[in-house]
Amino acid sequence: MLPKLFHITPSGAAGLLFAVFAFFVVPTLAGSLWLNVFTSMGCFTLATAGVAFMYARLGMVSLTQVGLMGVGGWVMLRLNHGFALPFEVNMVIAGFATMVLGWVLALPALRLRGLYLALVTLMAAGGLEIILSTFQFPNGGSGFWGVQTGSGAAFRRPALAQSPEAYLRYVVAMVTSGFLFIELHRRLAPGRAWALIRRSEAAAMAAGVNVTFYKAWAFGISGLLAGGAGALLAGSLGLLDGGTFRASESVMLFALAVVGGARFWLGAVIAAALFRVLPALLNNWGVDADLSFVIFGAGLLHAVIAAPNGIAGQIMELFAGLIQKLSNKLGLVASIVIEGSADD
Amino acid sequence: MIEVQNVTVRFGGVVALDGVEAQFANPVSGIIGPNGAGKTTLMNVVSGFVAAQNGQIVKDNQNLMGLAPYKRAHWGLRRSFQKEEIADDLTVAENVLVQVDHSTLTAAHKNKDVAHVLEIVGMADQADRPGARLNSFERRLTDVAKCLVGDPKLIMFDEPAGGLSVEETARLGDLILDIHARTGAQTLVIDHDVDLIARICSETLVLDFGRKIAFGPTAEVLSDPKVKAAYLGTEDI
Repeated sequence: MLPKLFHITPSGAAGLLFAVFAFFVVPTLAGSLWLNVFTSMGCFTLATAGVAFMYARLGMVSLTQVGLMGVGGWVMLRLNHGFALPFEVNMVIAGFATMVLGWVLALPALRLRGLYLALVTLMAAGGLEIILSTFQFPNGGSGFWGVQTGSGAAFRRPALAQSPEAYLRYVVAMVTSGFLFIELHRRLAPGRAWALIRRSEAAAMAAGVNVTFYKAWAFGISGLLAGGAGALLAGSLGLLDGGTFRASESVMLFALAVVGGARFWLGAVIAAALFRVLPALLNNWGVDADLSFVIFGAGLLHAVIAAPNGIAGQIMELFAGLIQKLSNKLGLVASIVIEGSADD
Repeated sequence: MIEVQNVTVRFGGVVALDGVEAQFANPVSGIIGPNGAGKTTLMNVVSGFVAAQNGQIVKDNQNLMGLAPYKRAHWGLRRSFQKEEIADDLTVAENVLVQVDHSTLTAAHKNKDVAHVLEIVGMADQADRPGARLNSFERRLTDVAKCLVGDPKLIMFDEPAGGLSVEETARLGDLILDIHARTGAQTLVIDHDVDLIARICSETLVLDFGRKIAFGPTAEVLSDPKVKAAYLGTEDI
């Protein structure tokens, strides 16, 4: 009757199966180009999960996510070139540093909602873009900024994942952990508080929820995931470029999270695939990758008009309907409910 | 004892509450008045959602005015809103559990408490149902359960019978009448349903244009010519 912490929903089971597929099968089938593309997609899936989680749980629009990824990547590169710490330690520090920066950026914005919050976070993304493109990313140079001209120093990948295939598996494992981390929060007190805040801040306060604290908590989680994603991206490429973390990319990532379906794990995967795989695919076919912007626009129109739960929501409904039909044919009572499985 | 001491609220040039004074000593008390009288504003002052320019709200020697709204809930203030505020993507049990999530009690104790109040309001068999799939009366009952859970000291209902049938209103009235015996909490009820107020409230405060026009035993208050005039108007000759 009362909330169970450990149980697997149909959507969650599908997600775990997908993770197993991505972990074992994808690295063995992909060539070197596609290994890089899928690794990048994995990193952006983690970042999208953060921004989608904030939107789906709290209705808060953050347009800083890619900028925060840049911060995570910067810290990761700085630590890698400055200290001899293991990859994992650097990644955790990068994640937490980004989380703290996310809090600092978010604190003035926490009393804002809707469009105003979106604008403030967009301005923060613009500020990060200027800082990152001005000071560039560390590449083994001296001093605080650690930038040197010419070729950069080598980047140390995790001991467990030296090859591109192993690194993709590593990223898949981290992304899966990120989704589980979000799901754990959803099933505990913060998830309940966020659900009520989304319903009504007044009702949440009347229920004893410290709205500012829980909003800051959500920003922190989103920042942590963005920082981790940036650190993983730095590990994938070994160096980063300011052009990757423009404010416009944050806007694009949020729009794609809506297109993909912010309430679903699959939505983040679809968003990251559209963001990273589709342009690569178009390039591969000899078509201008900018065509992807047209496709994104059409997808956004579709989501706004016909699919409020995004492409993932449509897929989930389709599967729920198929299972229902199958169950009816077999004379069973289907208990798959789209609302119940939606939040994994 | 709930003491409303000289509470004044202004919204720009509009005086929403003008030095309102009342001492509620009975288990269930009512606040009535025509639309715009300041009833919900007074409830919002008690909840901490609206800052009063002047005055105090004291319950059992605890001045609530210095506390943030969520800290008032931790202290034991509960309230429902005119529209049932139930999160659609939480189950009935989870919606109630939110109210005691801040508590330092063990999870088992909280769960037991939630199960107990759901039993009281008759929603125990719906505990696993998502809020999105409840009808308006079930949502209202879940709201009542939220008000009962934990250790409530003061419970406020803002038009709880709005949109309910006669039978549902009667059942809601029974539940409200039972609150003090079950929890020891005092209850304030705002409603336009004068029959409900007359049935469940021992004493009633009547507001009109932000001012107290009557306060006392409900039967006396309802027969007061000033109250009738406030509701029905007066004939100008």
